[in-house]
Amino acid sequence: MSINRDKFGALLFLCLALIYGFYVGDIPLLFGDEDAPFNARTLPNALAWILGVVSFIQLVLPANQEAGSLSNAFRGLKWGRVVILAILMVFYGLTIRLLGFPISTSLFLMGGFYTLGERRPLVLIPTAVLVTLAFWGLLYAMGIYLTPGDLFYYLGWMSNDA
Amino acid sequence: MLDGIFSGLSTAVMPINLLMVAVGCFAGTFIGMLPGLGPITAIALMIPITYGFDPSTGLILMAGVYYGAIFGGSTSSILINAPGVAGTVATAFDGYPMAQKGQAGKALAIAAYSSFSGGTIAAIFLLVAAPALASVSLSFQSGDYFALMVLGLTAVSAFAGKGQVLKAITMTLFGIMLSTIGTDPAAGVARFTFGSMDLVDGISFLLLAMSTFALSEALLSILRPTKDTRSAEEKALKSLGSMKLSKEEVKTMVPVIGRSSVLGFFTGVLPGAGATIASFLAYGMERNIASAKEKLGFGKGSIRGLSAPETANNAACSGSFVPLLTLGIPGSGTTAVMMGALISYGVQPGPRLFVEQPDVFWSVIISMYIGNIVLLVLNLPLIPYISRLLALPQQLLVPFVLFFSLVGVYLVTFNTMDIHMMVIAAGIAIGLRLLNYPMAPMLLGFILGKMMEENLRRALAISDGSISFLWERPITLVILIISILFLTAPLIGNLRSWLANRKAAVPNDGEL
Repeated sequence: MSINRDKFGALLFLCLALIYGFYVGDIPLLFGDEDAPFNARTLPNALAWILGVVSFIQLVLPANQEAGSLSNAFRGLKWGRVVILAILMVFYGLTIRLLGFPISTSLFLMGGFYTLGERRPLVLIPTAVLVTLAFWGLLYAMGIYLTPGDLFYYLGWMSNDA
Repeated sequence: MLDGIFSGLSTAVMPINLLMVAVGCFAGTFIGMLPGLGPITAIALMIPITYGFDPSTGLILMAGVYYGAIFGGSTSSILINAPGVAGTVATAFDGYPMAQKGQAGKALAIAAYSSFSGGTIAAIFLLVAAPALASVSLSFQSGDYFALMVLGLTAVSAFAGKGQVLKAITMTLFGIMLSTIGTDPAAGVARFTFGSMDLVDGISFLLLAMSTFALSEALLSILRPTKDTRSAEEKALKSLGSMKLSKEEVKTMVPVIGRSSVLGFFTGVLPGAGATIASFLAYGMERNIASAKEKLGFGKGSIRGLSAPETANNAACSGSFVPLLTLGIPGSGTTAVMMGALISYGVQPGPRLFVEQPDVFWSVIISMYIGNIVLLVLNLPLIPYISRLLALPQQLLVPFVLFFSLVGVYLVTFNTMDIHMMVIAAGIAIGLRLLNYPMAPMLLGFILGKMMEENLRRALAISDGSISFLWERPITLVILIISILFLTAPLIGNLRSWLANRKAAVPNDGEL
């Protein structure tokens, strides 16, 4: 048996409303704010309640058959390449400071092209490197300077001395 | 007002601004023609580029991208029956049959002339309506603003379409919830930051827009591969045929353009309605008022059937600027993105904009005329050449979109944590899109959430904690009543159809 797609969505949001509502209690209040008509907790409290009620209504209303089952919505999707691209993006975030903009961006673009099926080195490498360098130059022209990478400073290949 | 128009004109005709209109229209047309990428993504991708510019230049570029994306969507609708943008679905009804008859060039020309006329007429309406509304709205108080924001949010949900109302409300609430993350501006206390310094300032609007639109749309095109239409589009563009229109055809178009411009503009002004609803309404109106003989031509390449939605969708684009520029309330996902960009430039859209920064206000309006001329004079003849850009393979295009999205956000904060947050937000957006939840209401909720809270807090402080401000001023009361009607009408409609279905089912159940 598979759950209806809309019902699953409603269930997720009901859980979100409960969790959000639970953490509203953690919002600190200033002295005397407890009795104020509007404090830092007022809107979050109202939101948790309204979202809870809306999701509950969606959950108990007759199912929209057109929505189909949850398994249908997620069937036939090509997750593999998306997961690899997501890992590449995380890697990009981790290396942009260390390796610097030019190297990390070139690597990210090459990885992206390769993941999506581009195998010709003569397309893959020059496209990534040229676009990166062109963008780097454009940023420099706009007054935004991105350092070549902390690693080069650690290794002593570059220095901050004037 | 004349001073303002001249000041706007002088700003809009500055070489950099003229260049930006042209670049915006061109980039928008290209992105609008790509399958899966809409105007919101097109504009979001442009935001980082605009940071180095004046607010007027940035907004002019984004407005150009908006028209361009709608025009690009029309091109794919006409040539290959694959609307790149929801606002151009109705264009395909008659545009595609016309292209199949070998009149693709003529269909594109009709679309371009109609878009130009619709956009220009609507810009004239905007020229008159926006300052008038801005002067009226100067007298608005916090309570009225709160009511207007409630109206904006409920209207977006109400126009969400059949079966989507509750989902749109859910997403609006989700957007407001996201806006509560960070430091509460009034009390200065942290909310939902869970001790993380990266969340103290809240979630950046640009991060949210980029990850829920640009990133997730690009990733979805890989996750759920749609038919790649670019080669078909490229092929169709090579055999366009003549773009000339006969006198008779022009005569048929003129009254249609007049009617559809008015309808499109006013539909665009309504929060939540926008280009899609305007184009369908205009198409329906033309078909209803057509003679029985003309009616038969609809869906088979009717000039009226093509001209009406094209005029209306462009007029609605201009109309959607009215609430943004005069009230500071975006009526659609696209204008919400523009508003987010404006706020990040340090410009607060709303009635004060008209008084404090008239150059921004007027130059945007004037640039709309220029944008429409650019679309007609530059983009229409360039359409065959854009096909060459479309030949860029998807395996190169998608990483570029991902790169521009990530770098666009990184360049604002130089915080690598933002890149990781974008990956997480894109993942959540993909999940929600697969569950058929609309993203635009979330963005609108996020933008309006903070403002709504501030105005509600101020209104309560002024009225000594009493909620009587909701009905004391007639304007607040009227706006709130309209909001309630917007919200309840689709729900009552759903309930009635459900009851009717049950009633119809009962006699059958009773039969033995």
